[in-house]
Amino acid sequence: MDSHSGYERSIRAVSAAGVRTPWLGRLEASWVAPAVMLAVGYYLAARIGFAFTLQPHPISTLWPPNALLMAALLLAPTRAWWLLLAAALPAHLLAELQSGVPTAMVLGWYASNCSEALIGASLVRALVPGTLRLDSFRNAGTFLLCGGLVAPLLSSFLDAALVRLIGWGQGDYLDLVRMRVFSNVLAELTVAPLILTWAAFGVAGLREAPLHRYLEAVALFLGLAAVSLVAFDLPLDNASTAPALFYAPLPFLLWAAVRLGPAGTASAIALVVVLTIWGAVHGLGPFTGGSPQQTARDMQLFLTVVSVPMLLLAVVLEERSRVAHLASEQRLQLTHLSRVAMLGQLAGGIAHELNQPLTVILSNAQAAQRFIASRNVDPDELADILRDIISADQRAGEVIRRLRPLFRRDEAQFEPLDANEVVQEVLGIVRGDLVMRGVEVVTQLAAALPQLEGDRVELQQVMLNLVLNACEAMSAGAGEDRRLTIRTRADEGGVQVSFADRGHGFAAEHYDRLFQPFFTTKAQGLGLGLSISRSIVTAHGGRLWGSSTRGEGASFHIFLPAGRAGAAG
Amino acid sequence: MQACVSVVDDDALVLRSLDRLLSSAGFAVRTFPSPQAFLAQAGGDPGCVVIDLSMPGLSGLEVQQALARLADARPVVFISGRGDVASSVEAMKAGAVDFLLKPVEGEKLVAAVRSAMEKDRVARVVREELSLIGGRLAELTPREREVLAGVVEGKLNKQIAAELGTAEKTVKVHRARMMRKMGVASLAGLVRAWTAIRDTSAASAP
Repeated sequence: MDSHSGYERSIRAVSAAGVRTPWLGRLEASWVAPAVMLAVGYYLAARIGFAFTLQPHPISTLWPPNALLMAALLLAPTRAWWLLLAAALPAHLLAELQSGVPTAMVLGWYASNCSEALIGASLVRALVPGTLRLDSFRNAGTFLLCGGLVAPLLSSFLDAALVRLIGWGQGDYLDLVRMRVFSNVLAELTVAPLILTWAAFGVAGLREAPLHRYLEAVALFLGLAAVSLVAFDLPLDNASTAPALFYAPLPFLLWAAVRLGPAGTASAIALVVVLTIWGAVHGLGPFTGGSPQQTARDMQLFLTVVSVPMLLLAVVLEERSRVAHLASEQRLQLTHLSRVAMLGQLAGGIAHELNQPLTVILSNAQAAQRFIASRNVDPDELADILRDIISADQRAGEVIRRLRPLFRRDEAQFEPLDANEVVQEVLGIVRGDLVMRGVEVVTQLAAALPQLEGDRVELQQVMLNLVLNACEAMSAGAGEDRRLTIRTRADEGGVQVSFADRGHGFAAEHYDRLFQPFFTTKAQGLGLGLSISRSIVTAHGGRLWGSSTRGEGASFHIFLPAGRAGAAG
Repeated sequence: MQACVSVVDDDALVLRSLDRLLSSAGFAVRTFPSPQAFLAQAGGDPGCVVIDLSMPGLSGLEVQQALARLADARPVVFISGRGDVASSVEAMKAGAVDFLLKPVEGEKLVAAVRSAMEKDRVARVVREELSLIGGRLAELTPREREVLAGVVEGKLNKQIAAELGTAEKTVKVHRARMMRKMGVASLAGLVRAWTAIRDTSAASAP
């Protein structure tokens, strides 16, 4: 989610090499490159705009420079706006003066273009502070309304007034307004989102995307280009089939919205827009035959109506998947947190497990020192001492190695597992604790169990939780009553692992609450263990349940399905 | 029989390392891989016991209690992987010489074992002396015992004779025989022996 384009990054970077200009504010060195990029982009966008002009009108069907300027403002800090607007002037002059338009008109258009970008960017920034990210319905809606509708509308009155004043255009004032509004609305709705979405998602998204996603995108754009060419760029032979053809790009646009995110959708929309206008400019496709004004307006309305819902759909889907991702991230954190809390309970046992090898190492080393000091050294004895030190060291390493994965916070990773193996690993982890609590574990592990598919660490966490609960339940009992029996057996398409203690059991009326978060009978407990254990087991496609005879102990059982069934979790 | 240190730990590596450490300090060491194996041979041998407090099956404290039942009075040094107050208090109350935390510093263990051995040696000397006195006491005739009771209470021969209803001369004879049997030359020696035996019987009575 934390992706920014080079443009955005470089314009944000605060440079120490700033220059204080007399009246405009601070000029930072890092703003220069984006400003130059903007100037080049503005010039190219103006050339594209000229190419999309339906002669003889001076107004293009799609005028991208204004949208480009607005997008640049929205991505830049407000205090850099003056530089961006200034950078657009030379590009504007260079592009416009080639077309033989009077200089006064060229300057007038610069003023109205800047006003459009400024109105849109100011409104959007007032409502959505900071760099605009088209990643929520609210942000996208604000942009579409303020930048896509209000700004072109307001600035068009100024633009048309200037045209009339300078006497360049022919038509009626309101006609001029209308033409310019449609042209600029379309540009704001297609070009600006293209830039904004690519700035927010595009670059990082491209880097992370797997190969199949690239192939999918290629297929989508080829298909979209093909249907758009057929629909909008062929000579219109049969007018009656035209309405159906309007819908031809829709499946591809929906596909893009669902699969490629806002940036992909904005790109797909841009492709449809470009191909449609190209057809109309060359007298091809359905938007021909009427007056240029009529044609332009029909086409602009059509494209606007198509692009707005598609873009919003893509943004909403993106927002949803982000929220879902956030929720799963939080679940992951909670699972990890409760695991670490559980490991905290094990600290005493772990210390015991580490103390044994440490004792071995220290005592052996000090014995060796004494042997050497007494000059009574038996080389064989020394060799034995060193061998024992090494194996003790390896044992300590093993304790650490077993624990390390439990501290890590990773996404669940499913792998083939043997239930008995997981049970043994868990017993290895709690061994010190069991010794200290004086709990005897009896294992009845069935041979040749079906293989499971699951996350090793998460299933260890579940079993650890059940073992520790059992130990806790038996802590008041005498030696005989401190026995935990762990059974595994194959069971209708999976494996059942049972943990039976000889503690005080639980009352039937408490059963449902056992699995609720924050329900606990322990003095020190979060009350999350069983609820998280159950959600882990459920995510593995299995079940976790308990049974108890009050006063005669409790049993908890996990059923986990065999084979690949778990992969769905 | 030479005094030796009995080391009990279920962990073979730990057992060997403690064996080496204590051997290097010059002690005679016997190792036992389990509390059961140790208790099977417990008895009156001189020495002391070094035992892990937390072992599966029998805990160190339970071993200590079992030793007491077997009238094996060897001092016990506990070593433990955990430093919780409850178990250390319980162990010390039950008469542990020392309570050391793993990993055990060699010097400390050697010092603890040395003081435990010394404690055992002194206790044995005292016990021997007491049993000697006890044996001598058993050899006295009832009459000599009565005389002894009178003497240690500081009564004169005449008073004892009056209480026993016999002649002072007879009491003198009994007294001389009693002093000889008790192996003491003076009244002070007799009182010391009498006090020692009375204190132990009073202590073991409840």
